[in-house]
Amino acid sequence: MKKQPDPSKKEDTEQAEKPVFGRFSRRSFLSQLGAAGVAATTAPLAHAATPAVDPAQSENPAGVPGAVPVTLRVNGKEHQLMLEPRVTLLDALRENLAMPGTKKGCDHGQCGACTVHINGRRVNSCLSFAVMHQLDEITTIEGLANGGELHPVQQAFLQHDGFQCGYCTPGQIMSGAALLKEPIGPTDDDVRIAMSGNICRCGAYTNIVAAVQQARGRRA
Amino acid sequence: MSTSSTSSVIGASVTRVDGRLKVTGAARYAVDHPIENVAYGYGVSSTIANGKITQIDTSAAERMPGVLAILHHGNTDPLFRTAGPLQPNSRPSESRPPFEDDVVYYYGQFVALVVANTFEQAQDAAFHVKVTYDEKKPLVHLDDVPAPAGPPVKNYTRGKADEAFESAPVKIDETYITPVETHNPMEMHGTIAVWNGDKVTLYETSQGVMNHQGVMSEMLGVPLDRVQVISPFCGSGFGGKLFPWPHSLLAAMAARRLDRPVKVSVPRALMFTTVGHRPLTRQRVRLGATPDGKLTAIIHDVLNHTSHTDDIMENCTEPTPLLYSCPNVAAAQRLVKLNVGTPTPMRGPGACPGLFALESALDELAVKMKIDPLDLRLRNYAEIDESEGHPFSSKHLREAYQAGAERFGWSKRTPGIGSMRKGDEILGWGVGTATWSAGRGAAEVRVRLMADGTARASSATQDIGTGTYTVFAQVVSDKTGIPVERIEVVLGDSSLPPGPTSGGSTATASVLPAISAASTAAIEALLKASVRADQSPFKGADPATLAMTAGRVHVKEKSPETGIPFEQILKMSRLAALEGNGKSVPSHEAHKVTAQSFGAHFVEVAWDPGIARLRVSRVLSVFDVGRVINQKTARNQILGAVVMGIGMGMFEETIYDPRNGKPINNNFADYIVSTNADIPELDCIFLDYPDSAMGEYGARGIGEIGLTGVAPAMAMATYHATGVRVRELPIRIEKLMQRGMA
Repeated sequence: MKKQPDPSKKEDTEQAEKPVFGRFSRRSFLSQLGAAGVAATTAPLAHAATPAVDPAQSENPAGVPGAVPVTLRVNGKEHQLMLEPRVTLLDALRENLAMPGTKKGCDHGQCGACTVHINGRRVNSCLSFAVMHQLDEITTIEGLANGGELHPVQQAFLQHDGFQCGYCTPGQIMSGAALLKEPIGPTDDDVRIAMSGNICRCGAYTNIVAAVQQARGRRA
Repeated sequence: MSTSSTSSVIGASVTRVDGRLKVTGAARYAVDHPIENVAYGYGVSSTIANGKITQIDTSAAERMPGVLAILHHGNTDPLFRTAGPLQPNSRPSESRPPFEDDVVYYYGQFVALVVANTFEQAQDAAFHVKVTYDEKKPLVHLDDVPAPAGPPVKNYTRGKADEAFESAPVKIDETYITPVETHNPMEMHGTIAVWNGDKVTLYETSQGVMNHQGVMSEMLGVPLDRVQVISPFCGSGFGGKLFPWPHSLLAAMAARRLDRPVKVSVPRALMFTTVGHRPLTRQRVRLGATPDGKLTAIIHDVLNHTSHTDDIMENCTEPTPLLYSCPNVAAAQRLVKLNVGTPTPMRGPGACPGLFALESALDELAVKMKIDPLDLRLRNYAEIDESEGHPFSSKHLREAYQAGAERFGWSKRTPGIGSMRKGDEILGWGVGTATWSAGRGAAEVRVRLMADGTARASSATQDIGTGTYTVFAQVVSDKTGIPVERIEVVLGDSSLPPGPTSGGSTATASVLPAISAASTAAIEALLKASVRADQSPFKGADPATLAMTAGRVHVKEKSPETGIPFEQILKMSRLAALEGNGKSVPSHEAHKVTAQSFGAHFVEVAWDPGIARLRVSRVLSVFDVGRVINQKTARNQILGAVVMGIGMGMFEETIYDPRNGKPINNNFADYIVSTNADIPELDCIFLDYPDSAMGEYGARGIGEIGLTGVAPAMAMATYHATGVRVRELPIRIEKLMQRGMA
């Protein structure tokens, strides 16, 4: 189904020897991200929106040997990257696409902090290579809100204080949002079990269950 | 009781002002910060726990793509040590700087750092660095070494405890063990170091940006004003991020060497070795009592392990002299050095493991004497702090016991083992007393009233998930009447006015008076400007006749509606803003009172002997913590502490391999923490009595106390259900199956 790039093609080899991100300037998607970030977060805190990096400087001048062209569709936008096949989807999002909303909590698929949606299903992005997801529809926490309007699960987490430090929160919310379409039972216990792939060390589970149930329409 | 005239914003359920950033993924944690041209550092860590490095062969790794540098003790200039108590903000976690020499003190100690262009390249190359060692047998468990001779590192006595114990009609003499626990905040430790000439900026995840700045200045050997620490969000710390760890120095060292920003993230496996833990404690508790259950002697002897580089005492005996009324008390602590990383305070340090022992022993006394465990606590209720001979500033523990007992239904408890059933399950009920000392440190805050009608509050403290951002906005709003959503709060930057470390449940109490004072100072400046501006309706008036309410300047005697919005005064004065600074100073010690928080956890466990399943089925917690500033975040924090307590009681234990000192369960699949499915309905009650010893707002801080007392209540409940007394945490079903199968 997926159109895979052919690594034997000459242009790919040439790409690998050139600076990374050759076909798609990092500046363009960073500036897009910046605009979206401003819209989504009228920041009450000074450090919320740190200035974007200077894209010209951020590219690795030496190139990354073994990198292959990878096309990722993230939050409805297509990104063309040069990535080593061993780059996880998580690291591609965070380090190559400058989308650090998705968190690394263990890098072993044990904590759920890195949960994203792939074609609408929740997936631990640390356990998946970026090259495996060309042309998949990837949704991250940055793409969950509809412009300035929060997703119902985001709104419910805010209202019910479904977090403390906030580090596991993107993963919790992505799990909660995917769960809305999953065939689980109606009770709080059903939610507890379905949300148990996402660890919250601050222990905000009571509020997480309340938030998810509200978004499911099971609680006022 | 202090009844300051606070507005409704204090004590309300205020939604976090930083909440929107957290739910949209916009909050920036340490290694989230986008830094141009950043290189990636990945540590090589020791695979032995005791010995010396004989060779570091970097030849293969150096040839790998993208590798920029491989640093180790053989090719770097030594860093410096800190002056410790001689200087403020001078406490590192490990006093030994990384790469100081060729000695290996513990498994998972950094022995080299590979820096490369990408994370993958650095990680790969790190596994191609070959390190050889001269290995000695590691000692990683208390049982491996003899009990320490010599005087204890802490010794408390009152009365004649030994004699009183010997002559007591009823005695308990038992030993309790709490295992090594690992903090495991969800955000792994990490640092991005950026040098700009002779100045270094460190993007950190820190519970104390001021201390971090001070330590990095000393250990890197650069002036304090050349170090900036930025930590706007901290993915929690639980004590583990109080003081800097080696990776932060390695990032700074590598960035200085390469003249390029370097990012170092500590992998989860190394979170078990090189960023601290709660040490193992072995605690012998002896209680003597009269036939009617009055304590006559408490003897509490504690041994905990520490590292070979630092002496860290887990202060288990801190609550022992004051929790119960008893004329004869002796408490002593000793240390044993093992080949483990340096321990560091973990949430409720000392009191958490200490109360597991003391409260468990008290329950054993209750069982032995056939007295209800809650009744036994009331019979030994401490009306004053007997360790100091001071009154408590505000103690309502009796009410906490009673309110909890009533809501929990304690009077329905039948004492017989296994006597309470619900379907196939046997229920067990336990109660645990919680306590934590209250204190506050120095803090400085700046509040800025701005011509656009907003305010800004700033301080070099940080919000580690506790809600500090929101507390700032609430207090500024309380003082100025400016709505919370129009107040910007700036924290987590060492260049701001010096703020407190977020530790020991002191941050809120420390900053409250400073925010209040800064707000008041800003308002005073505004009122003075109000009588000077030409267009001002108050021109020429005495500023003392004016007030600021609901964001408006008005004549004190008249309603706010008769005045004008504060920003108009600034515009009339052609001022961008007016600022006020406020300080708070360390606290109540002069008052000759003891400010101490108390609480009680009521725990129900359900034991299904047919399938050997133990679970916590209900917890109610009642707390006397002074005034609660934000009901929503405070409740969350207490329930979260109970979640961690259930983990401490039933799951958490870091296990070292005796052969090489490796923590064998160094990941979230094998080091079990509470997940959502482990947690039943939880509830908490705040008694909410403001403590005048804590100043205007009367808040005592709530970070630690929620975790204290949970594990012993679970152990009591488990005994009540199964008849098995678990004296070594965690409570595992295999321990219950010895004779728990009904």
